[in-house]
Amino acid sequence: MKMLVRLKPWSIGIIGAFLVGGLWAPQAGWAQESVSVRAGLVKGSLPADDPTAAAWNGAPASEFPLSPQVHWPNRILEVTAQSVKVRGLHDGQQVSILIEWADPSEDPDDAAALEFMIGDKKAHFAHGQPMAQVEGGPVNIWFWKNKDAKILDMNAKGFGTLKSQDQQDVKGKGVYQNGTWKVVFTRALSTADAVNDTQIKPGDFINIAFAIWDGKKDAFGDPKEKGSQKAVSSWWYFRAEPPPDYSGYFYAALAVGLAAGFQFVVIRKLKKGAST
Amino acid sequence: MKGGSLLKPAILNVGIYLFLKFVLPLFTAPLPASLIFLYVALTATGIVIFATLSGQSTEAFFGPITRFLSGEGQAGVMKMARLLVLVLFPLLVGWQTYSSTAPSEVPPAENRTIHPAPPGEFVGLSNPIPNTPENVMAGKGLYAAFCSPCHGGNFDGKGPASKGFNPPPANFSDPTTIAMLQESYLFWRIKKGGVGLSIEGMPWKSAMPRWEVELKDEQIWKIIMGEYDGAHQKPRTWE
Repeated sequence: MKMLVRLKPWSIGIIGAFLVGGLWAPQAGWAQESVSVRAGLVKGSLPADDPTAAAWNGAPASEFPLSPQVHWPNRILEVTAQSVKVRGLHDGQQVSILIEWADPSEDPDDAAALEFMIGDKKAHFAHGQPMAQVEGGPVNIWFWKNKDAKILDMNAKGFGTLKSQDQQDVKGKGVYQNGTWKVVFTRALSTADAVNDTQIKPGDFINIAFAIWDGKKDAFGDPKEKGSQKAVSSWWYFRAEPPPDYSGYFYAALAVGLAAGFQFVVIRKLKKGAST
Repeated sequence: MKGGSLLKPAILNVGIYLFLKFVLPLFTAPLPASLIFLYVALTATGIVIFATLSGQSTEAFFGPITRFLSGEGQAGVMKMARLLVLVLFPLLVGWQTYSSTAPSEVPPAENRTIHPAPPGEFVGLSNPIPNTPENVMAGKGLYAAFCSPCHGGNFDGKGPASKGFNPPPANFSDPTTIAMLQESYLFWRIKKGGVGLSIEGMPWKSAMPRWEVELKDEQIWKIIMGEYDGAHQKPRTWE
């Protein structure tokens, strides 16, 4: 028994370490690479139609690689935009998404689009084209073109079905500076038309994809990239950050109290047992 | 039961943990943390059952713990250790509660099945094109024209058009892709493309074209031949 007494702190330390390690272990190791755009909640006004506003400097940027659209004819095998940098901000009512890409020249046919799934149905990133074994949904596309100086709110479900909505909800603006396009898209987080518009609920991850067209004229006087000939990404994630939630601290405090109480009762019982 | 009945189980548990965590991965794939936790918990349960088989062994096992927690006649290091345990335990419970109730900051996990089962009509087909040097060459030519922009001139999935796609185009030189598959499987994937995948294959993310729209079956079979030859792989067979 003497030996036991000498070894106690050791053993209990090891057992304690195990309890801690065991409780920790199942939650470790799930970190993913950066695959999403996080639109932070701002107090005050959004830079809704100002791609160069200072407010954007505080928003974290995500960058996504782009590929030439090779999925469906007419294909293109080389595109100007190699990647797109994306930032987001929201004020609880409206959301603004700023995209930036390098383009050596400003052309009237330069264009960009954001694409979203609508509701819970998974949609293919190429215009929500039909899939063999999954009943896919439509996509909501926000399309900006330099010469139109406006943003079109559109839908598609398969190739050749792209259509502008009657109810236009998206506004924004593009600015070309020093070889870089910056375009901001702004819309209400939620709209009345859940059938055609993506709904953005703070805290939820939704899917987003990007497309960029370099409208520079080729030798025949046609835009180099047009229609299905564009730079694209597949789906990534977008989230409007929820307001800070402190309930975790409350539950933690409650748990500490309960554990301490449990401990107190157990030790009192042990002491009583020892003294009888 | 001799003295040290508390130390031995502790060493046993640590030993099991170290074995599962560091020794086993030398021979096989690393175990997930949840499985290691399960094994360690099973070991601990076994130890408690073993230790409580008789009144005497129960006392030898739990006695020290009881005396430690009740704090009788303790002084110095032991007193401090007891205090530490009593403070740390509620804090640990609080921390666990916090981390399990805090809202998730991570995008939904994606469990994509890379090679889901093909539809029945594509199982067990054999390549009807004779494997001649001419046909292999023709297949490589078609591959260069239609497939290499994404899958790469070196069959490594690193073509010039590949980098924006997620999941990335398959790397055929990797022994876990076409070397594990039958020719009929490739025929299905090329013909029906990404949108032909079942739900566990996440068809909405794949950029693989539906080549049946543009290529004849015969051309697809030749591409398959050229692909295996170019990537220095052999199709999987039933033998």
